Parts: sequence; structure tokens; C-alpha cells
Amino acid sequence: MHRILEFVRNVFAALGRAWSGFWFQTSVTTPLELARMGIGAALLFHYAMATPFLFDLWGEGGWVPRALVLENKTDPWMQSLLYYFTAPWQWVAFHALFLVCSAALMVGWRTSWVKWIVLVGQISYDYRTPVLFYGVDKILACLLLIMCVAPIGRAMSLDRVRAVRAAKLEKLAATLPPYASPWAGACTRLMQIQMAVLFFYSGVGKLRGDDWWNGDALWVVFITGEHYNRFMLDLLASHYWLTNVGTYGTVLIELAFPFLIWQRRTRPYLLAAAIFLHVQFAVLMGLFYFSFVMVMGHMSFVRPEWLARLGQAWKRRMGDMEMIYDGRCGFCVRSMAWFLAFDGLGQVRIRDFRIDPSPVVSDAQVEKALYLVLPDGRALPGFEAYRYVVLRVPGLWWQIPFFYVPVLSRLCGHPIYNWIAANRGRLSSLRLGLARPLAK
Amino acid sequence: MISQQWRARLTYAAMSAFLAWHTATIVIAPAPDVSAFVQALRVPLHPYLVFFRLDNPWDFFAPNVGRRPQFRYIIEDVRGNHHPFMPTKDLNWFHPSFFWSYSWYDAVIDEPETYADAAAAFLCRKHASLHPVSIILLQAEGGDFTPEDQLAGKNPMDPEFVTVTTVKRVACTGS
Repeated sequence: MHRILEFVRNVFAALGRAWSGFWFQTSVTTPLELARMGIGAALLFHYAMATPFLFDLWGEGGWVPRALVLENKTDPWMQSLLYYFTAPWQWVAFHALFLVCSAALMVGWRTSWVKWIVLVGQISYDYRTPVLFYGVDKILACLLLIMCVAPIGRAMSLDRVRAVRAAKLEKLAATLPPYASPWAGACTRLMQIQMAVLFFYSGVGKLRGDDWWNGDALWVVFITGEHYNRFMLDLLASHYWLTNVGTYGTVLIELAFPFLIWQRRTRPYLLAAAIFLHVQFAVLMGLFYFSFVMVMGHMSFVRPEWLARLGQAWKRRMGDMEMIYDGRCGFCVRSMAWFLAFDGLGQVRIRDFRIDPSPVVSDAQVEKALYLVLPDGRALPGFEAYRYVVLRVPGLWWQIPFFYVPVLSRLCGHPIYNWIAANRGRLSSLRLGLARPLAK
Repeated sequence: MISQQWRARLTYAAMSAFLAWHTATIVIAPAPDVSAFVQALRVPLHPYLVFFRLDNPWDFFAPNVGRRPQFRYIIEDVRGNHHPFMPTKDLNWFHPSFFWSYSWYDAVIDEPETYADAAAAFLCRKHASLHPVSIILLQAEGGDFTPEDQLAGKNPMDPEFVTVTTVKRVACTGS
């Protein structure tokens, strides 16, 4: 009896370990963050472009009046906030809120709650006019729900920037370790399963159709009205074997994906094949939005170590950068805290010339402007220093349009920087954007 | 008070339960519900599947690609003139309305008893400047189109490959 109990206990312990090993591996959130940024951007762009059609698509006098939708609603669990709107301003406010939250999701601002608004918005649009949704709307709801329960916004986001900035305001040299948790690993796994299951059913479904068995599906796709492509038809008509290759290749990738994507060796190839497939869908069939969202779903299969290696390679290529600043100037320190918070790869080292004078740049020079020292010994002052850095630090790429407009950026940038540098004492006393006093 | 250890265990159990539940929905939802077994499995999942829009068969272009009929319509004005329209010609791959429009046209063609009147009412308003009396909703079904046809410089929507039939004729109210 004791042995049986022991055996049963061992079996359950092994199952428990396997379960934990499969789901709860401590992981960073970067694969999910890539999906978040892409899906946020896709939603923002897509629904922003739909704005002129807001009332046609989802309004009372639109394509499908609400009364008709409610009359044909077959399930009480189908719910949409748009069922309850009565005045046009409510549609406008809802749409504006949805767009703002999609933008916030993209940049990772207040991610913990904006993601829920985006999910509710997406489902509300879907159910308000159910006849309108197609492939991408289906996958979006699935991915958004997973992102809602996932701890996203902890990396590559404004939320992360705010957290790092808060730490750096306490001490500029402080670093915040990357967020990692078993739950992040579990949610990444959930998104991977979602994508693998999608491919599996999509592939298996095709096996039941003559178009796919006979190898003609590609031809049929391109003669349909919505995917008509004269160039492709010309090509396939003169080389019909390409139709067969494309058709069977699509089924092969869709069937192989759910089985071979899990292995370390085969994952890069299957991931590349899936992305290649969706790029084809986008370019040749006009399925840009769908393909982009699918590729973002596939980002869950990107191993964090790949991204880490990529980051390290980028860092090596860009070389060492040292910023020399005035540690006695409160405004300068606060600006540096903001600036460095965007440097997720830790590419920029800092030096306070008041306590650690630079061997390259004299104190008198740094009194006038911040300096950036490059690996080759060059020192760039003020605006030129920032201009150099924004191109080389990925977290600052959003500033490139401000720093690299030909002529105009330098024309305006130099005087603005010089004015700020000359008045930094006065600006320090304003304590702009400072949540709490700087640590002494 | 729940001890730290028990709190961790409960959290782990709750997370595990959610993962098992959601994975079951991901796997079961697209399964063909022809068998009694799958139907039974779907019962407890149903509210969750529908409320969160997770109930998808993932049958993109399957089992067959299928050629959807093209939607067309003719406006009949007060003088009896006919104004034909082929709305899909004005659509643009790069615009979100492209696939939404196609989905709407499909709904009108597939379920005219449900959607044709609403569609006609919308189109009557849209073309009010033509003083429409009625609208004839049409579908153009494409026939076989071979590589030889393509090499001969023909188009799948050329009249010889298309059969046009009336979906419904709807009077414009208030005209």
C-alpha cells in the first residue's frame, strides 16, 4: 500500500513538474510586447482610416441598422456597447476613445487598463455589425484577450520608461532589472498555442477541399473579385506549375507549423516560413491588415534570447557613447533621467563632470553644453550630441523626425538648445515634470 | 489570514485553472461540432466563447476557396432610367472598407430577406440626387476561367464568364 501511494505521489509530482515546466517558465515579456506594439499600431491605423465611414459601418442609418442586428441576434452573450448608443456624439466619443487607447496600447502607456478598453472596443465593433467581420477581426479578439491577462507594458513601453525614469530620478546611475515572471511565460505560451491551433485547423480544413487537393487553389484565389491580381494570373497562366507549388506549399507550411514550431532547431525555419506566407498574402492578395496582425501573433515565438543577441549586436555596432553632463544642474539631471529612460539597451554611459572630470572635454566646455564622447575620441556638444544619439538608440527613434529634418532641425535645434543650456539654472528652479525632489 | 505559502499555492492553482480553461477553448472552439462529443464539450465553454468573440473555425479559404458573387445594383429613377453601379470597382485594397464592404455585399446576396431592404434603403439615401424610385440588387456569378482564357487576354469578370441574376428589387420609400 505504501509503495502504491509512493508511486501515485511520484506520478503526480512528475506531472506537476511537467505542467510547471511547460507553462510557468520565468520569462521576459518582450515577445508579447512586440505583439502589443504591432497590434496597437494596426488597430490605430485601420480604425483611424475607417473614421469617415463610422456611421455607415456602425451607425443607425448605416449599412445594417441596429434594429436589424438585434432582431437577428441569436445569442444573448453577444454584446456590444454600440447597441446602447442613441446620439451621434456617443459614436464619435467611443471611436475617439478607442483610437486613443489603441495608440496608448501601441506605445505602452497605462497599458494595464487601456488594453481592456481596446478589447471591449474591438468586440463591440464586431458584434454591432456581425456581417462585417472577416479573418483579421477573428484573430484580433483572441490575441487581445490573451494580452489583457498578460503582464504587458513592462518592456519597450512608456510604462517602462516611466518606471526607469522614476528610479533614475532617485539616482541617475540606477538601473531597473528587466521584468520577468512565470506568468509572462505562461501568457506567451498561450499565444503560441493560439497561433499553432489556428494554423492546424486552417491546414486541416484545406485538406477537405478539392481546390487544395488538386493544387488549383492559388489560381482560384486570384480570379476572385477581391483578390484579383492580373500580374499573378499572367504569371500563373504561363507557368501553371507555380500554382501547384504555391497551393501545396501553403498547406504544407500550415500543417507543419503546429508540430515543428516547438523544437529549438526547427522554430526559426517555421517562423520564417509563416512570416513569408503572410508577406505573400499581403503583397499578392491585398491582405495587409490581416497579414500584419498574424505576423504580430507569430512574434510570440520569437525567443527573448534572439532579441537580446540582436540588442547586443546593435550595441556593439553603434559603439560606446559617453554623455558628460552637469550634475549640479537639476534640470540637466531630470532631462538625463528622461533621456536615459528610453535607452533600454544601456548604450549611453554618463559622467558628471563635477565629480568625475572628463579627460577628453574640459570643464569649461561642459559648463556651456552637454557633451557626447564617441569611441574614436570625438566630442559632440549640445544639439549635435542629441542628434547623434537619437539615431543610434532604438528607444529614441521616435525623435528622429525632430532631429533630422534637413536644414530645419539644425536651424531651430541649435538656438533652442543653446537657450536652454544658458537658462538651465532658471529652468532647474521650475522643477519641470519632477514628481519628487531629487535625492541629494 | 491566509499564509504566504497558501496564497502562492492558490494563485498558482487559479493561474493553472485559467490556462487549462483557455487552452480548452482555443482547441475545442474550431473543432467541427458534428459529433455529440464536441457538442457536449462546447456547452460549458459557450458563454465564454461568444462573449469574448473566440468562437472561430479558422477556415480561411477552406475547404475550398470559393468564388463569391460580385454585388451590383441598378438605380431606377422617376423617369424610368436605369443607372447601373458596380461598387466593388471603387474599392481599394489599402482601405479598411475593402473587406468590410465585400462582407456586407455577401450578406446581402446570401440573405436578401434579412439584409436587402436595409441595403436598399442605404443606397437610396446615398443616391438621392438621382431621385431613385427603386433599386434592383444583383449578383454576378463568375464561371470557369482557365489559364488559356487569361493568356487570351480575357478577364474573369468579362460578360462571357459572368451570369447576372436579380437578388431583389426594392422600392425606395419616400421617393
